[in-house]
Amino acid sequence: MAKRILITDDALFMRVTLKNILTQNGYEVVGEAQNGAEAVKLYSELKPDLVTMDITMPEMDGIEALKAIKASDSGATVIMCTAMGQKNMVVEAIQAGAKDFIVKPFQPDRVLEAVGKLLAA
Amino acid sequence: MKVEYVTPFVAGSVSVIQTLINSTPERGKLSARPQMFTSQQVNIVCGITGDIEGQVIYGMSLLTANRMASKMLGGQPVPQFDQLAASAIAELGNMISGNSVTLLAQQSYTCDITPPTIVKGSNVKISTLDIPALVIPLVVADVGEIEINVSLQQRKAKAEAA
Repeated sequence: MAKRILITDDALFMRVTLKNILTQNGYEVVGEAQNGAEAVKLYSELKPDLVTMDITMPEMDGIEALKAIKASDSGATVIMCTAMGQKNMVVEAIQAGAKDFIVKPFQPDRVLEAVGKLLAA
Repeated sequence: MKVEYVTPFVAGSVSVIQTLINSTPERGKLSARPQMFTSQQVNIVCGITGDIEGQVIYGMSLLTANRMASKMLGGQPVPQFDQLAASAIAELGNMISGNSVTLLAQQSYTCDITPPTIVKGSNVKISTLDIPALVIPLVVADVGEIEINVSLQQRKAKAEAA
Protein backbone atom coordinates (compact mmCIF):
# COMPACT_ATOMS: atom_id res chain seq x y z
CA MET A 1 0.00 0.00 0.00
CA ALA A 2 1.23 3.48 -0.84
CA LYS A 3 2.57 5.50 2.07
CA ARG A 4 0.18 8.29 3.07
CA ILE A 5 1.42 11.88 3.27
CA LEU A 6 -0.10 15.12 4.57
CA ILE A 7 1.24 18.31 2.95
CA THR A 8 1.22 21.60 4.90
CA ASP A 9 1.94 24.89 3.11
CA ASP A 10 0.02 28.17 2.80
CA ALA A 11 1.06 28.52 -0.86
CA LEU A 12 -1.07 26.67 -3.41
CA PHE A 13 1.96 26.61 -5.71
CA MET A 14 4.03 24.73 -3.15
CA ARG A 15 1.23 22.25 -2.38
CA VAL A 16 0.84 21.52 -6.11
CA THR A 17 4.63 21.14 -6.56
CA LEU A 18 5.04 18.82 -3.57
CA LYS A 19 1.98 16.80 -4.52
CA ASN A 20 3.32 16.27 -8.06
CA ILE A 21 6.73 15.18 -6.81
CA LEU A 22 5.23 12.75 -4.28
CA THR A 23 2.41 11.24 -6.34
CA GLN A 24 4.68 10.75 -9.36
CA ASN A 25 6.91 8.66 -7.12
CA GLY A 26 4.31 6.34 -5.69
CA TYR A 27 3.20 8.18 -2.57
CA GLU A 28 -0.40 9.01 -1.75
CA VAL A 29 -1.13 12.60 -0.71
CA VAL A 30 -4.08 12.14 1.66
CA GLY A 31 -4.48 15.75 2.72
CA GLU A 32 -3.37 19.32 2.13
CA ALA A 33 -3.34 21.80 5.01
CA GLN A 34 -3.05 25.55 4.43
CA ASN A 35 -1.84 26.48 7.91
CA GLY A 36 -0.63 24.90 11.13
CA ALA A 37 -4.07 24.67 12.73
CA GLU A 38 -5.44 22.77 9.73
CA ALA A 39 -2.43 20.44 9.81
CA VAL A 40 -3.05 19.55 13.47
CA LYS A 41 -6.73 18.86 12.74
CA LEU A 42 -6.04 16.84 9.58
CA TYR A 43 -3.28 14.88 11.30
CA SER A 44 -5.65 13.55 13.95
CA GLU A 45 -8.28 12.72 11.34
CA LEU A 46 -6.03 11.13 8.71
CA LYS A 47 -3.15 9.68 10.73
CA PRO A 48 -0.71 10.01 7.80
CA ASP A 49 2.64 8.19 7.68
CA LEU A 50 4.45 11.49 7.15
CA VAL A 51 3.78 15.25 7.28
CA THR A 52 5.58 17.97 5.33
CA MET A 53 5.46 21.23 7.28
CA ASP A 54 6.09 24.79 6.14
CA ILE A 55 7.03 27.26 8.91
CA THR A 56 5.93 30.75 7.83
CA MET A 57 2.14 30.47 7.67
CA PRO A 58 -0.84 32.49 8.88
CA GLU A 59 -3.03 31.32 11.83
CA MET A 60 -0.57 28.84 13.36
CA ASP A 61 3.04 28.58 12.21
CA GLY A 62 4.77 25.29 11.43
CA ILE A 63 6.84 25.11 14.62
CA GLU A 64 3.72 25.40 16.80
CA ALA A 65 1.91 22.85 14.64
CA LEU A 66 4.88 20.47 14.86
CA LYS A 67 4.81 20.72 18.66
CA ALA A 68 1.04 20.14 18.77
CA ILE A 69 1.26 17.09 16.50
CA LYS A 70 4.15 15.61 18.48
CA ALA A 71 2.22 16.22 21.72
CA SER A 72 -0.76 14.24 20.39
CA ASP A 73 1.36 11.51 18.79
CA SER A 74 5.00 11.25 19.81
CA GLY A 75 5.64 8.83 16.95
CA ALA A 76 4.57 11.32 14.26
CA THR A 77 7.01 11.73 11.36
CA VAL A 78 7.22 15.40 10.42
CA ILE A 79 9.71 17.02 8.04
CA MET A 80 10.04 20.78 7.80
CA CYS A 81 9.97 22.28 4.34
CA THR A 82 10.55 26.01 4.56
CA ALA A 83 12.33 29.04 3.14
CA MET A 84 13.73 29.84 6.60
CA GLY A 85 17.09 28.09 6.84
CA GLN A 86 18.83 29.86 9.69
CA LYS A 87 20.46 27.76 12.36
CA ASN A 88 18.21 28.72 15.27
CA MET A 89 15.14 27.71 13.27
CA VAL A 90 16.64 24.34 12.30
CA VAL A 91 17.70 23.66 15.89
CA GLU A 92 14.28 24.57 17.27
CA ALA A 93 12.51 22.32 14.75
CA ILE A 94 14.81 19.34 15.34
CA GLN A 95 14.52 19.76 19.13
CA ALA A 96 10.73 19.82 18.75
CA GLY A 97 10.92 16.48 16.98
CA ALA A 98 11.18 17.23 13.25
CA LYS A 99 12.93 14.38 11.41
CA ASP A 100 14.43 16.47 8.60
CA PHE A 101 14.67 20.09 7.48
CA ILE A 102 14.41 20.96 3.79
CA VAL A 103 15.12 24.53 2.70
CA LYS A 104 13.07 25.94 -0.20
CA PRO A 105 13.66 26.19 -3.07
CA PHE A 106 14.56 22.50 -3.29
CA GLN A 107 15.30 19.94 -5.98
CA PRO A 108 12.70 17.13 -6.17
CA ASP A 109 15.44 14.60 -5.30
CA ARG A 110 16.05 16.29 -1.97
CA VAL A 111 12.41 15.74 -0.98
CA LEU A 112 12.32 12.15 -2.28
CA GLU A 113 15.53 11.29 -0.47
CA ALA A 114 14.21 12.61 2.85
CA VAL A 115 10.79 10.99 2.50
CA GLY A 116 12.23 7.70 1.18
CA LYS A 117 14.67 7.38 4.06
CA LEU A 118 12.02 8.00 6.70
CA LEU A 119 9.36 5.78 5.19
CA ALA A 120 11.66 2.89 4.24
CA ALA A 121 11.06 0.97 7.46
CA MET B 1 19.50 52.67 5.49
CA LYS B 2 22.58 50.47 5.52
CA VAL B 3 23.70 48.80 2.32
CA GLU B 4 24.65 45.73 4.37
CA TYR B 5 20.92 45.04 4.78
CA VAL B 6 20.46 45.01 1.00
CA THR B 7 23.34 42.74 0.02
CA PRO B 8 21.72 39.58 1.50
CA PHE B 9 18.52 40.25 -0.45
CA VAL B 10 20.40 40.56 -3.73
CA ALA B 11 22.39 37.39 -3.00
CA GLY B 12 19.24 35.61 -1.82
CA SER B 13 17.31 36.60 -4.95
CA VAL B 14 20.06 35.45 -7.30
CA SER B 15 20.47 32.13 -5.51
CA VAL B 16 16.71 31.38 -5.29
CA ILE B 17 16.11 32.24 -8.96
CA GLN B 18 19.10 30.11 -10.00
CA THR B 19 17.80 27.09 -8.10
CA LEU B 20 14.19 27.58 -9.20
CA ILE B 21 14.54 28.17 -12.91
CA ASN B 22 18.22 27.49 -13.60
CA SER B 23 18.95 31.00 -14.85
CA THR B 24 21.32 33.57 -13.38
CA PRO B 25 19.77 37.04 -13.15
CA GLU B 26 21.77 40.09 -14.13
CA ARG B 27 22.02 42.77 -11.46
CA GLY B 28 21.18 46.36 -12.41
CA LYS B 29 22.11 49.65 -10.82
CA LEU B 30 21.22 50.38 -7.20
CA SER B 31 19.07 53.46 -6.62
CA ALA B 32 17.37 55.09 -3.65
CA ARG B 33 13.82 56.27 -3.05
CA PRO B 34 12.84 58.50 -0.16
CA GLN B 35 9.88 56.23 0.57
CA MET B 36 8.59 52.81 -0.29
CA PHE B 37 6.90 53.31 -3.62
CA THR B 38 6.33 50.95 -6.49
CA SER B 39 5.02 51.58 -9.97
CA GLN B 40 5.02 47.89 -10.87
CA GLN B 41 1.86 45.95 -11.76
CA VAL B 42 2.51 42.98 -9.48
CA ASN B 43 4.12 43.43 -6.07
CA ILE B 44 4.91 40.88 -3.42
CA VAL B 45 5.12 42.51 -0.02
CA CYS B 46 7.09 40.67 2.68
CA GLY B 47 7.40 41.92 6.23
CA ILE B 48 10.67 41.47 8.10
CA THR B 49 10.63 41.46 11.90
CA GLY B 50 13.34 41.03 14.51
CA ASP B 51 16.74 42.74 14.88
CA ILE B 52 16.09 44.45 11.56
CA GLU B 53 12.54 45.38 10.64
CA GLY B 54 10.63 46.79 7.74
CA GLN B 55 9.50 45.57 4.37
CA VAL B 56 10.84 44.13 1.18
CA ILE B 57 8.78 44.42 -1.99
CA TYR B 58 9.44 42.40 -5.13
CA GLY B 59 7.85 44.24 -8.06
CA MET B 60 7.41 43.23 -11.69
CA SER B 61 5.15 43.65 -14.68
CA LEU B 62 2.19 41.33 -15.17
CA LEU B 63 3.90 39.78 -18.19
CA THR B 64 7.07 39.11 -16.18
CA ALA B 65 4.99 37.61 -13.36
CA ASN B 66 3.21 35.26 -15.78
CA ARG B 67 6.48 34.21 -17.42
CA MET B 68 8.16 33.63 -14.05
CA ALA B 69 5.19 31.60 -12.78
CA SER B 70 5.24 29.52 -15.96
CA LYS B 71 8.94 28.71 -15.48
CA MET B 72 8.33 27.86 -11.81
CA LEU B 73 5.53 25.51 -12.88
CA GLY B 74 7.91 23.56 -15.10
CA GLY B 75 6.98 25.35 -18.31
CA GLN B 76 3.21 25.01 -17.90
CA PRO B 77 1.64 27.91 -19.87
CA VAL B 78 0.33 30.78 -17.74
CA PRO B 79 -1.91 32.86 -20.05
CA GLN B 80 -3.37 34.84 -17.17
CA PHE B 81 -2.40 35.71 -13.63
CA ASP B 82 -4.67 33.18 -11.93
CA GLN B 83 -4.65 31.84 -8.37
CA LEU B 84 -1.87 29.33 -9.05
CA ALA B 85 0.33 31.93 -10.78
CA ALA B 86 -0.24 34.41 -7.94
CA SER B 87 0.66 31.73 -5.44
CA ALA B 88 3.87 30.89 -7.33
CA ILE B 89 4.90 34.55 -7.38
CA ALA B 90 4.02 34.98 -3.69
CA GLU B 91 6.07 31.90 -2.89
CA LEU B 92 8.97 33.34 -4.90
CA GLY B 93 8.90 36.35 -2.55
CA ASN B 94 8.66 34.07 0.47
CA MET B 95 11.62 31.97 -0.65
CA ILE B 96 13.79 34.99 -1.44
CA SER B 97 12.93 36.60 1.90
CA GLY B 98 13.57 33.35 3.80
CA ASN B 99 16.91 32.75 2.14
CA SER B 100 17.95 36.39 2.60
CA VAL B 101 17.04 36.34 6.29
CA THR B 102 19.22 33.23 6.62
CA LEU B 103 22.09 35.27 5.14
CA LEU B 104 21.31 38.15 7.54
CA ALA B 105 21.57 35.65 10.42
CA GLN B 106 25.17 35.01 9.33
CA GLN B 107 25.79 38.73 10.01
CA SER B 108 24.28 38.18 13.51
CA TYR B 109 20.91 39.77 12.73
CA THR B 110 18.13 37.43 13.82
CA CYS B 111 14.94 38.10 11.89
CA ASP B 112 11.69 36.42 10.93
CA ILE B 113 9.47 36.96 7.91
CA THR B 114 5.70 37.34 7.56
CA PRO B 115 3.64 35.47 4.94
CA PRO B 116 3.77 37.33 1.60
CA THR B 117 0.97 39.56 0.36
CA ILE B 118 0.39 40.31 -3.33
CA VAL B 119 -0.56 43.86 -4.26
CA LYS B 120 -1.72 44.34 -7.84
CA GLY B 121 -2.04 47.72 -9.52
CA SER B 122 0.46 50.39 -10.47
CA ASN B 123 1.62 53.47 -8.56
CA VAL B 124 1.20 51.87 -5.17
CA LYS B 125 2.64 53.75 -2.23
CA ILE B 126 3.28 51.61 0.79
CA SER B 127 4.16 53.74 3.75
CA THR B 128 3.73 51.95 7.04
CA LEU B 129 7.26 52.87 8.05
CA ASP B 130 8.97 56.06 7.01
CA ILE B 131 12.21 54.42 5.91
CA PRO B 132 13.90 55.21 2.61
CA ALA B 133 14.02 52.32 0.17
CA LEU B 134 16.96 50.98 -1.79
CA VAL B 135 16.00 49.50 -5.14
CA ILE B 136 17.89 46.86 -7.13
CA PRO B 137 16.62 45.68 -10.51
CA LEU B 138 17.38 42.11 -11.55
CA VAL B 139 17.02 41.09 -15.16
CA VAL B 140 16.07 37.45 -15.67
CA ALA B 141 16.62 36.13 -19.20
CA ASP B 142 13.37 35.27 -21.04
CA VAL B 143 11.35 36.46 -18.03
CA GLY B 144 11.89 40.19 -17.53
CA GLU B 145 12.87 42.57 -14.79
CA ILE B 146 12.21 42.00 -11.11
CA GLU B 147 12.70 45.03 -8.89
CA ILE B 148 13.72 44.46 -5.30
CA ASN B 149 12.74 47.30 -2.95
CA VAL B 150 14.39 47.00 0.44
CA SER B 151 13.19 49.24 3.23
CA LEU B 152 14.67 48.12 6.53
CA GLN B 153 15.97 49.64 9.73
CA GLN B 154 17.56 48.34 12.86
CA ARG B 155 15.06 47.82 15.66
CA LYS B 156 15.26 50.59 18.21
CA ALA B 157 16.07 48.47 21.26
CA LYS B 158 18.92 46.78 19.42
CA ALA B 159 20.23 50.11 18.08
CA GLU B 160 20.28 51.58 21.59
CA ALA B 161 22.03 48.56 23.04
CA ALA B 162 24.69 48.68 20.35
